[in-house]
Amino acid sequence: MTLRADCACKSLTKHHEELCGDKAELLRTDDSYIMILADGMGSGVKANILATLTAKILGTMFLKGASLDECVETIVKTLPVCQVRHVAYSTFSILQVSRDGHAYLVEFDNPACLMLRGGQIHPIPFCFREIAGKRIKEAHFLVQTGDTYLLVSDGVIHAGVGREFPFGWSWDAMASYAAVQAPACQSAAQLAERICLEAGRLYGGSPGDDTTAAVMRIVPAQVVHLMTGPPSDPADDERIVEALMQGNACRIVCGGTSATIVARQLKRPLMPTLHFADPDIPPIAHLQGIDLVTEGVLTLNRAVALLRRYTAATPETSCSHGSLADDLANENGGALLARALIERCTDLRLLVGKAVNTAHQVPDLPFDLGARQLLVDQLKTLVQAMGKQVTVTYF
Amino acid sequence: MTVTICIGSSCHLKGSRDIVSRLQTLIAEHGLNEQVTLSGAFCSGNCVQGVVVTIDGEQVHSVSPDNAESFFQNEILPRLAQ
Repeated sequence: MTLRADCACKSLTKHHEELCGDKAELLRTDDSYIMILADGMGSGVKANILATLTAKILGTMFLKGASLDECVETIVKTLPVCQVRHVAYSTFSILQVSRDGHAYLVEFDNPACLMLRGGQIHPIPFCFREIAGKRIKEAHFLVQTGDTYLLVSDGVIHAGVGREFPFGWSWDAMASYAAVQAPACQSAAQLAERICLEAGRLYGGSPGDDTTAAVMRIVPAQVVHLMTGPPSDPADDERIVEALMQGNACRIVCGGTSATIVARQLKRPLMPTLHFADPDIPPIAHLQGIDLVTEGVLTLNRAVALLRRYTAATPETSCSHGSLADDLANENGGALLARALIERCTDLRLLVGKAVNTAHQVPDLPFDLGARQLLVDQLKTLVQAMGKQVTVTYF
Repeated sequence: MTVTICIGSSCHLKGSRDIVSRLQTLIAEHGLNEQVTLSGAFCSGNCVQGVVVTIDGEQVHSVSPDNAESFFQNEILPRLAQ
């Protein structure tokens, strides 16, 4: 089995603080996905440093193949000691899922990892072990496609303490909420967002502690082939279309000239629509066998802008319902493209033609239509930041 | 009759959406919905002349949002009368 994981995290920062004292790290090795959540003691700068150091040390060492014992010892010896409390302390959780389905979960003083399988809360069998004087919880198990794993900082399960609930949201109530929300979420990011939104609501919009949710969904591989731009040598038209049509994938073409080339190679009619879902984005077209056909750079520019907002939403904006969800739900080509990349893509294969579109060498346009290369680079970086695998092939 | 308006990047920036909506209005006002079909097309390589509009796939017309109405009066209506 070569599974894929969709990973995302979201944090709310304790009120009156500029820095979050929780740190989540989402990493990937050639054969595994790693999700780390560290919660530094206290709040603000000090907590941020403790959590960041812990998460970074764990991440770096795990990536290099160090054992858990070595990691924990390193953290114990490295963390700066708090002047007030005379201890160096950060809780942490690590979830590593291999492509073959084996999962390794480690927890130190964090709320327990929630496992959802078949929509139900599923217990994870733990063992305890002492490393460098710390009592560590460990679990080895097998994941299944469709599973959802949720790591939260204690700010989540304490949400609403003394307000809505005398002892806060509680792990059980949070787990039930997640179990209800998870099936309705199209992505890990959406679930992380909903958990934080609900915690923020329970806090009355003013979090009493740093609040972080990190989500890993085990998903089947979903490959997207995205072709944009005509090949620099027209003799390569056949090759680029072959690559586009290869295997089992969602196929997307961004560019009028590109779409024309694909239609010609496939000997199928290209049917542009005149439906302007957004006045700034040219309408999409239909072409049998291609899942989405759009105009080129204006559409890519919109998709990149949406993905940038999607990946960079700060704790402040995540506390309220922004208009990002509405903008993503639009039926214009840019939103359709962004949505496909967020919701239905684990592996993106970019097929990029490098021809300078002579048709676009028109002076006095209010937008640089030669920006394709730049947009492709930005798209690649953003999609990678979402934890997806991206390859680029130039023609 | 099919009137095709380019909705490629360059023509889009030059106002093809405006032209589409103006022509849609004019066609409706003249009760010509049965006789005239509007359709979109991707880039035909004539961007310099944009916005590129063709009637029944023939000659390329260079239309702008400002002269869309006169294009309708001078090119579309006379052909329908023929």
